[in-house]
Amino acid sequence: MGIPASAAISARGGAAGPWRPDSPAITVRGLRKSFGSKEAVAGIDLDIAKGSLAGLVGPNGAGKTTSLSMMTGLLRPDMGTVLINGVSVWTDPVAAKAIIGVVPAEVRLFDRLSGEELFEYAGRLRGLPAGEARQRAAQLLDVLDLKDDAKRLVADYSTGMRKKAALGCALIDNPRVLFLDEPLEGVDPVSADVIRRLLKRFADSGSTVLFSSHVMELVEQVCDHVSIIAAGRIVATGTMDEVRAGKTLQQAFIDLVGTRGTGGEGLSWLGSSSS
Amino acid sequence: MARILVQLKLRLLLGALRATNASRVSFILSSTVALIAAVGTFAGLAALRHNGAAVDLTAVTYTLVAFGWVILPLIAFGIDSTLDPATLALYPLRTGPLVIGLLAASATGAWPLANLIGDLGITVGLAHGALAVLIAVIAALLQVLFCITLARLVTTALAGLMRSRRGRDLAALAIIPLFALYEVFTQVLPRAVGNHELTAASFAGVDSWLRWLPPGLAAHAVQDASTGHTGAAALRLLLVAAIIVVLGWLWARALSHALVTADTSTQAATIKGGALPFGRRGGLTGTVAARSLAYQRRDPTSMVYLGLTAVIMVVVSISSLRGTQPEIGVLLSAGFGGAFTGLLRGDLFGMTGPAFYLDALGLSGRRALRCWFAGQNAAVAAISVPVILVVPLVVAIISGHPVNGLLAMALGLPATGAGLGIGDLFSSTLPYPMERRAGNPLPRQADGFIMQAVVARLGGLIATAILVIPVIIAIGATGSVAEAVRVPALIAGGAVYGALLAWAGIALGAGLADSKLPELFQLAARSKL
Repeated sequence: MGIPASAAISARGGAAGPWRPDSPAITVRGLRKSFGSKEAVAGIDLDIAKGSLAGLVGPNGAGKTTSLSMMTGLLRPDMGTVLINGVSVWTDPVAAKAIIGVVPAEVRLFDRLSGEELFEYAGRLRGLPAGEARQRAAQLLDVLDLKDDAKRLVADYSTGMRKKAALGCALIDNPRVLFLDEPLEGVDPVSADVIRRLLKRFADSGSTVLFSSHVMELVEQVCDHVSIIAAGRIVATGTMDEVRAGKTLQQAFIDLVGTRGTGGEGLSWLGSSSS
Repeated sequence: MARILVQLKLRLLLGALRATNASRVSFILSSTVALIAAVGTFAGLAALRHNGAAVDLTAVTYTLVAFGWVILPLIAFGIDSTLDPATLALYPLRTGPLVIGLLAASATGAWPLANLIGDLGITVGLAHGALAVLIAVIAALLQVLFCITLARLVTTALAGLMRSRRGRDLAALAIIPLFALYEVFTQVLPRAVGNHELTAASFAGVDSWLRWLPPGLAAHAVQDASTGHTGAAALRLLLVAAIIVVLGWLWARALSHALVTADTSTQAATIKGGALPFGRRGGLTGTVAARSLAYQRRDPTSMVYLGLTAVIMVVVSISSLRGTQPEIGVLLSAGFGGAFTGLLRGDLFGMTGPAFYLDALGLSGRRALRCWFAGQNAAVAAISVPVILVVPLVVAIISGHPVNGLLAMALGLPATGAGLGIGDLFSSTLPYPMERRAGNPLPRQADGFIMQAVVARLGGLIATAILVIPVIIAIGATGSVAEAVRVPALIAGGAVYGALLAWAGIALGAGLADSKLPELFQLAARSKL
């Protein structure tokens, strides 16, 4: 099964032109995906500059996970182009996979391996010599505060520990571009801080990070670039200041996406003043 | 409290009828099997009237029923949400009423009723006289109460463990002896009975110690009442009742403890040694083999598959053990061993599950995928091949024809190669997501994928049988050649042929997977393991 003709043509056509060092690290053009009659991603365009720490925010069901899956080669798009450092994910997956790291939303790892075995496996799988993989695994376990649990099975890790383990697996071969889907969902504040600092340090070194999140405060605090996705479309994208336009990101987000529900006005019985 | 919990149990039962088609079918099937078990047990016990070993056989039957009541809830933990104290821990309930309520809830349903109906078979089979019938009814009621109380005590005491990964792993391994027992009852015993090797008289005296366990006490109480020893009968029943009271008290204590004790699943074991094997020269194949080998050892599913394969191998070799067809049995054993090794693992992507994302991101191109398949096959072969070679050899040695065991090796090796190769091919052509369900420690195909699973497994079995035909012909055609030449040549030829079949499966599987890796990942991601 090859990629759809439209996507292949689009990829070769290279809407973004030849890649130069100052070109965006991630270029997305006309990305679409439907599941049956539901259009999950309705044609998104996105440019993420090299060295950015970019956030992709949107309400539940907006198409964040679908978009990230297509950008990382894990879900075949109906149409569109994804270039990572100028390499097309869908026409040259070998080269594209060699430069990306991914932390999926639902972190399901090889949980019958210990933490250190898992890191070593991820490193060796991505071409690192075993000794180098083990060395990096030990350093990552230390930085991610998993050193004491290195010999425990991942099956016995908590949600936060699994997220950190998935991050370690994604970082072990030092990818140029890192994609994370809800990296702090279910993570305790201490682990969240560890992840946040690591991502910051990673981006400061010139690598690129794109992550999706529900947590506006986090995106506002960490990201220099933000894109808001709603109903499968990018409704705003740019630097943090451009998108916020003088408001908080939360307010800008609500203004763009709109609110739902009535705030529970009908629940007259709810609250300690009721009997 | 008792009324509420009984109502809850009834609602759960009715809910199963109203939920999905699968749960409705499962409920109807379970009730039908319960009815068959009830009628079968009643008829079986009733048929013992005038049998010399009636009390022995009744004691054995009662003990087996109690054993089943203890074991099955442990394997099926999660089917009945009233079984797990954790579901009730958040409610402000006192232990005393809760115990009585749970007891009443446990006695509600098709299986407790089936147990009672079946146990009442002693009123016909063992009881002689009105008083004995009365004693038999009480004995049957106490037997049901004993089964429920014992099962509750064990389940509650182990509830913390059963919620943990290690507990569930242990429960999964319990399937192997249960499967072996099932095979004994469905394959071995009927033949033994048919050949008059097993008769009722074989059980005479078997209850010399069973008579002191509660099921045996209940059976012997009826025997005593029938022979005029009413006092002894009453004493035995009182003893059973006392044991039930003690079990109930222990259950109440275990329940109080379970309601306020932390989950043990956080008490994790550590792994000895730090590095994965095959680091120096294994390459990508070695990397995947190292991970897969760890899974073969640590994932109970792999061990259960191996155990089930070994049981099947022993059962199909029964004709060799009995000496009727010494060669056929061991050859069948090796052939089935190889075929099952492949077909039980014929869905590599679905069985890898959502963690396949790590592999999907690291693998690209046919060469890498060939390494992925080869690594998995190597790990499975490393664990399975010794079993496939040793079981027929041991059977052949026991049956007095050790050479047959060596000939079985010549068939077992290509059968394993064919099984694994076909498994690789089906993994790419007919993949399906797997899921673990409450009550079944082994993963099975997700809803809507049963046809893929049936075709892959049946196809795997048939294809393996066809592919080993040349080896069977070679074994048959070389019967006149000296064993010293024939056996090594056949084993070497079988090994080479098996390796070629496995390699062909790897090459074809990798070629097909390469063009649809994202689709295979999406399917693997749907697995719930």
